[in-house]
Amino acid sequence: MKMHLTINPRLRFRLSPFVWTLLALAGIAFAIAMLRYANGIGAISNLNNSYPWAFWISFDLFTGVAISSGGFLMAGAVYIFQLKQFKPLLRPSILTAFLGYIMVVIALLVDLGHPERIWYMMIHMNGTSVLLEIGICVMTYLAVLAIEFAPVVFEGLKWQKFAHLIHRFIMPFVILGVVLSTLHQSSLGSLLLIQPTKLFPLWWTPILPILFFVSALTIGMSMIIFESTLSARYFHRGLEIHLLEKLTKVIQIVLGIYLVIKFGQLTFSGDLKYLFTSGLMSVLFWAEILIGAVAPIAIFSIKRIRQSANGLLLGAVVLLVGMILDRFNVSWFGVQHPDPITYMPTFMSAVHYIPSLPEVLVSVGIFSAGILAFGLAVKYLPVFEDGHEPAAQE
Amino acid sequence: MTEIKHKTFLFDATRCIDCRACMVACSAENNIEMNKTRIWVAGVGVKGEYPNLDRATMVYHCMHCAAPDCLSACPVGAYTKREDGPVIYDSKKCIGCRYCMNACPFGVPHFDFDKGLFTGAYIDKCTMCPQRIDIGLSPACVATCPTDALVFGERADLLKEAHARIQAHPGRYVDHVYGETENGGTSYLILSHVPFAELGLPDVGNKPIKDTSEKVMEFTIPFALGWGAVLTATAVGVGFLNRRTELMAQRAEQAEKAEEAKK
Repeated sequence: MKMHLTINPRLRFRLSPFVWTLLALAGIAFAIAMLRYANGIGAISNLNNSYPWAFWISFDLFTGVAISSGGFLMAGAVYIFQLKQFKPLLRPSILTAFLGYIMVVIALLVDLGHPERIWYMMIHMNGTSVLLEIGICVMTYLAVLAIEFAPVVFEGLKWQKFAHLIHRFIMPFVILGVVLSTLHQSSLGSLLLIQPTKLFPLWWTPILPILFFVSALTIGMSMIIFESTLSARYFHRGLEIHLLEKLTKVIQIVLGIYLVIKFGQLTFSGDLKYLFTSGLMSVLFWAEILIGAVAPIAIFSIKRIRQSANGLLLGAVVLLVGMILDRFNVSWFGVQHPDPITYMPTFMSAVHYIPSLPEVLVSVGIFSAGILAFGLAVKYLPVFEDGHEPAAQE
Repeated sequence: MTEIKHKTFLFDATRCIDCRACMVACSAENNIEMNKTRIWVAGVGVKGEYPNLDRATMVYHCMHCAAPDCLSACPVGAYTKREDGPVIYDSKKCIGCRYCMNACPFGVPHFDFDKGLFTGAYIDKCTMCPQRIDIGLSPACVATCPTDALVFGERADLLKEAHARIQAHPGRYVDHVYGETENGGTSYLILSHVPFAELGLPDVGNKPIKDTSEKVMEFTIPFALGWGAVLTATAVGVGFLNRRTELMAQRAEQAEKAEEAKK
C-alpha cells in the first residue's frame, strides 16, 4: 500500500492575529456559557416567557443544520450515485457538516434548561414530538458523520488499514446519513406545524417540511460552492470550476421547483392576500424570495459569472443570505406573540425581544471555534487530497 | 364534545371584579415564588363614555385542553393528561427545551429563566390542584373567588350552566362559550360580555392543533424505511451499471488489442 501523506513543514500552525481573534471570541463564549449555567438563561440572554425560542434557535439550530446539508448531498452524490467527478468536494463537505453539527449540539447545550439530561431523549421517548425526531436524528447523524470523516483522520495518522476498513463498509452509513438528513432537514419545518396560530400565514403551511427539505438542498449546494471558492483562495489550492458550474445548474432547477411549491401553496391555501398587505411580514417574505431564490437564479444564469470564482462565490453568498433569512423568518421574525397589553401582566415578563450582546456572543464564539477547527483540520489532515480510496490505488 | 368527561373550570367575565384573590390563593396553595404566578389576569381598560363605562378582566391559566399541544410536543413525555382532566407536568423528566411554550397556543407554560443548573430551571404551569381535587375540594383559585366568577365541576354540567346563563341574559353575553370546541375542547370554559379577542384569547380553531404535526410524524418511520430502500436500490443499481460499462469498455479494448495483434 502506498503512503499518500507526507507531513509538509509549511503546515505549521501559526498564531496569526486572525487566529488570536477566533480564540478570544471562543473564550468569551465559554465564559458567558459558564455564567449561564450558574445564574440561568435569563442572566445572559433576553429570552423570556413570550420568546422562549429566538436568536439561538434561529441561528444555531435552524441555520446551523441547514448550512451543514452539504455533507449528505456530497456523500450521496459520490457514494450512492457514484458521481466520481465530485470526489474532490466530498471531504471538505463532510468536514463542514461534521463541525457544523458539533456546533449545533454545543449551542443547544447552552440553550437547553437541563443540558445534563439531553440523553433523556433516548429513554423517555414521546413519539408524537417533532423535536424528539430531530434530536434522535441529529445525534445519530453526528455519529454517522464521525464514521464518514474517520478515514481522513486515519489517513492523517497513517493508519491506512483502518481507513481502508471503514471505506469498505461505508455504504450503509452513507445511506443511513442521507435518510437521517432527509428526515431532520424536513422536520425542522415540521417543528413549526404546532404553531398555526403563531406563525404568520405566509410561512405556516402543512407542507413546511417539504419546503424545508427543498431549500436545504439549495443551501447545501451553495455551501459547497462557498467553501470551495474560499478554501481555494486561502489554502492556495485549485478550484473545480467546471464541477461548481454543474452545481449552479442544479441549484437553478431546485430553486425553480422551490418557487413553484411556495407560490403554489400560497395560491392553494388562499394566503396570497398577505403578499403585499402585511407590512413588515410582506417585506420579509419578499426579501427572502428575491434574495434567496430569484437573485441566485438570475446570477447563475449569466455564463461569465458562473464560470468565475468570484461570481460563483457571489451567487452562493446571495442564496445563503436569502435562505438563512427564510429560517429566521419561520422560526423567529414570522412568529407572532400575543399582545402584551391584554395578554400578560407587565410584571411577569418583558414581551419585546432583541437578542442581548452576550446571547449573540455565545453563537459568535461557537462559530469562531468551528472556523478554527476547520483550519486545523485542513492543515493537519488530508481534507483536500482528492479523496482517493486506498483500495483503488493498489 | 359532550363526551369529554373532565373536571372543568367555568369563568364568567361579567362576574370578575379584578380582585386577584385567585392569584394569591394559587400561589399560597402551590408555594409559588413571589415574582411568579400560575394565573394572570388579563384586562381591557375602561371603555365607553361616562356614565356608560365598561371594563372587562379575565382570569387566565392552563386551559387543560382535551388534546394538549404541550403534551404532543414534549420530546421526553414530561406531560401527562389525567383522565379526569388535569394536564400535569413532571419536572423530573424535563430537559428544558421549552418546545411546550412554543406549542401551547395560549402561552401557558412558563420557564425559570432566572435559575441556573444548581437550582434547576423548570417549566411551571397550573395543575388544576390535583392535591385538592383528589380529596373532593375545588382548586384554590375557585375556592377563594368571592363573586363565583370561577366555578368548578363536571364539564357537561358546566357547559349546560354556561348556555343557561347565555339564554337567561342574551343581551349580556357574547353568544359563545369559549373552550367548548376551541382546540378540540378545553377544560376551562369562558363566558364574556366583550369579544374574546379583547380578553387576549387567541382564535385557535375548533380542531386540535396537534393533529397536523402528529399526522406528519406518522409518516416518519414508513418514509425512512422506504427512502432507505430506494437509496439502497439506487446504490446497487448504479454500482451494477458502472461495473457493466467498465466491463464492456475492457472487452472492447481487449477485442481491439486482439485485432491489432492479428494484423
